[in-house]
Amino acid sequence: MMNMRKNMLAAMLASVALTGAASAADIAVIAGSANDAFFNRVKKGVDDAALVVQANGGTVNYLTTQNYDNFGPDLVQLINTAVSQGVDGIAIPVWVAESQVPALKSAADQGIKIMMYNSGAEVKEQIAGINYFGSDEFVAGEAGGAYMAKKGAKKILCHIHVPGAVNLERRCDGIVAGAEANGATVMRLPTPASIDSDVTGTSEALKAELLKDPSIDAVITMGAWASDAATIAIQQAGRPVLLGTFDLSPSVLERIKAGTQTMAIDQQPYAQAFLATTMLAAYIDFGIDLPTDPVLTGPGIVDAGNIDAALVGVAAGAR
Amino acid sequence: MGNLSFASLIRRPESGAFLGMVFVFVFFAIFGGRNFTSFAGAASWLNVAANLGIIAIPIGFLMIAGELDISIGAMVPAASMSMGIISGHYGLPIPVGILMTLGFAVVIGWINGIMVVRTAVPSLIVTMGTLFAVTGLTLFLSILLTNTTAVAMNPPAWAKAIFGGFYFNSYQVIIVWWLGLTALYVYFLHFSPWGNWLFAMGGDKESARNAGIPTTKFTIGLFILSSVSAAFVGLCQTILFNSAQVSTGMSFIFNAIISVVIGGVLLTGGFGSVIGIFFGTLTFAMVNQGIYFTDFDRNLSSLIIGVMLLIAVLMNNTFRQMALSYTGSRKKD
Repeated sequence: MMNMRKNMLAAMLASVALTGAASAADIAVIAGSANDAFFNRVKKGVDDAALVVQANGGTVNYLTTQNYDNFGPDLVQLINTAVSQGVDGIAIPVWVAESQVPALKSAADQGIKIMMYNSGAEVKEQIAGINYFGSDEFVAGEAGGAYMAKKGAKKILCHIHVPGAVNLERRCDGIVAGAEANGATVMRLPTPASIDSDVTGTSEALKAELLKDPSIDAVITMGAWASDAATIAIQQAGRPVLLGTFDLSPSVLERIKAGTQTMAIDQQPYAQAFLATTMLAAYIDFGIDLPTDPVLTGPGIVDAGNIDAALVGVAAGAR
Repeated sequence: MGNLSFASLIRRPESGAFLGMVFVFVFFAIFGGRNFTSFAGAASWLNVAANLGIIAIPIGFLMIAGELDISIGAMVPAASMSMGIISGHYGLPIPVGILMTLGFAVVIGWINGIMVVRTAVPSLIVTMGTLFAVTGLTLFLSILLTNTTAVAMNPPAWAKAIFGGFYFNSYQVIIVWWLGLTALYVYFLHFSPWGNWLFAMGGDKESARNAGIPTTKFTIGLFILSSVSAAFVGLCQTILFNSAQVSTGMSFIFNAIISVVIGGVLLTGGFGSVIGIFFGTLTFAMVNQGIYFTDFDRNLSSLIIGVMLLIAVLMNNTFRQMALSYTGSRKKD
């Protein structure tokens, strides 16, 4: 604890020395491979934020890993690249704490400001992070469960396509909390790996559950593809069942537009990247720091009420 | 073949597989209640069996011939995406999407086949290479062409009716394809000369070649068949679910091989039957889907699946040994 304070103090002093006068923030944003749909949204957020930073005379450099094969070392390499470029601040998620924390600590010791987004809130103190912009699986699930219960659901089926996956189980825990607070019950359905990403198998499994238990009146899936499967299952069960899912896909949005799916829970990566980048620049340039910490960027619920705006966002690459 | 006595019937390779299937059916009919055996409930496992079965039989052929093709795990999503991109994203007519997708599958199957016959690398490794290569290519092209990893498609009614619709509310049309193809394959393996070639290759490839069987062409043909079959299932899924995504269909690899082995094909090759694989696929589908009709704790699903499959295969093997040692009523000479 003492050490950490010392580090932070040293970092602050160093930054005062470095940033000194009116030189605007030069920022590096580190992210995952652009092949990933998720990081396409992140990039859009960074690109838009860069306009703001540049308007104040700063620069934004967007650094990504090529793939996830050698993830920890690749991220450290990117951190070192950013440091050697002499940036004032780095916005970065912490995915591989054991690799990233030492590198980020040493960056912080050199006076570089660290802003966190998407992942790693638990190591924020260690690396002297300014703030965290991301979502919380439990909170997202809670919002989804409460939403369904308020729409009239009495018994919600929570489908987990990878049993034991920590983030999916957390989502389901959240759904249970949100539903029970609003008078609904939840049934968890973990389906074995033998039907993971098998749409027909998953669809038939969900249908069998719906046929067996007529009191199920809502389904929430943990992935967009699983809600494709759930749609057919619900059609064939032959009774109205509310359908919600985590994450967006073109077919999910089409169904919400057509009214065959109730909602989708979005963690809004655009907001994570946009806010992390602009707030890092604002901290360096103007000393602005938000009292809300961490800042949750999700869940954003897409339903019939805001689907048109969401579709515009999709076309623009922001959702 | 012509002699339909009891002894010859039980000695047929599919008899054991049939017995395993009956065991699984009775088990879930008891524990799954009326829904499992009802008209709507039966669709649940028939749909899964049909999707898997179309891939399992060509995989069974390869296994009989002593080869394996695991690249199907990448072919299913690749074909699904290709269909979605061509006919969904670009809006080209469905037949164009189907032909281009199947054409792509022919190329991949051909590459698999050529690599296997030209190099000494085992087919498991060759197709593992194409498994990853096709997965990567699918992701790369999807991002390049559409900038997303999932596409939506709205196929016309006629395409739904033929490739990806439902009849009687819950029966996928692909069941008809499965039954038709199975009949065709029964003829191919058991009534045409090609069938004997296949068994000969599984027994001993060298002597098969010496006996004048065109083993090279034949092997390449089998790889093309498995690749095209996987692509067919993939594109039917896109038409059915109006959606395609770049997730891997790894479960198909494992499930197809399991179905084939439950169906009585030996892992060492040279022995097996189409009807056996047919029963094996049904068995696997019933075990996988039957769980959801029972009241067992859902966390036990995988355990129950494992135990049931093991029992089915044990019954099959024990029965086969008993049948082979059973001589029937001796004929007096």
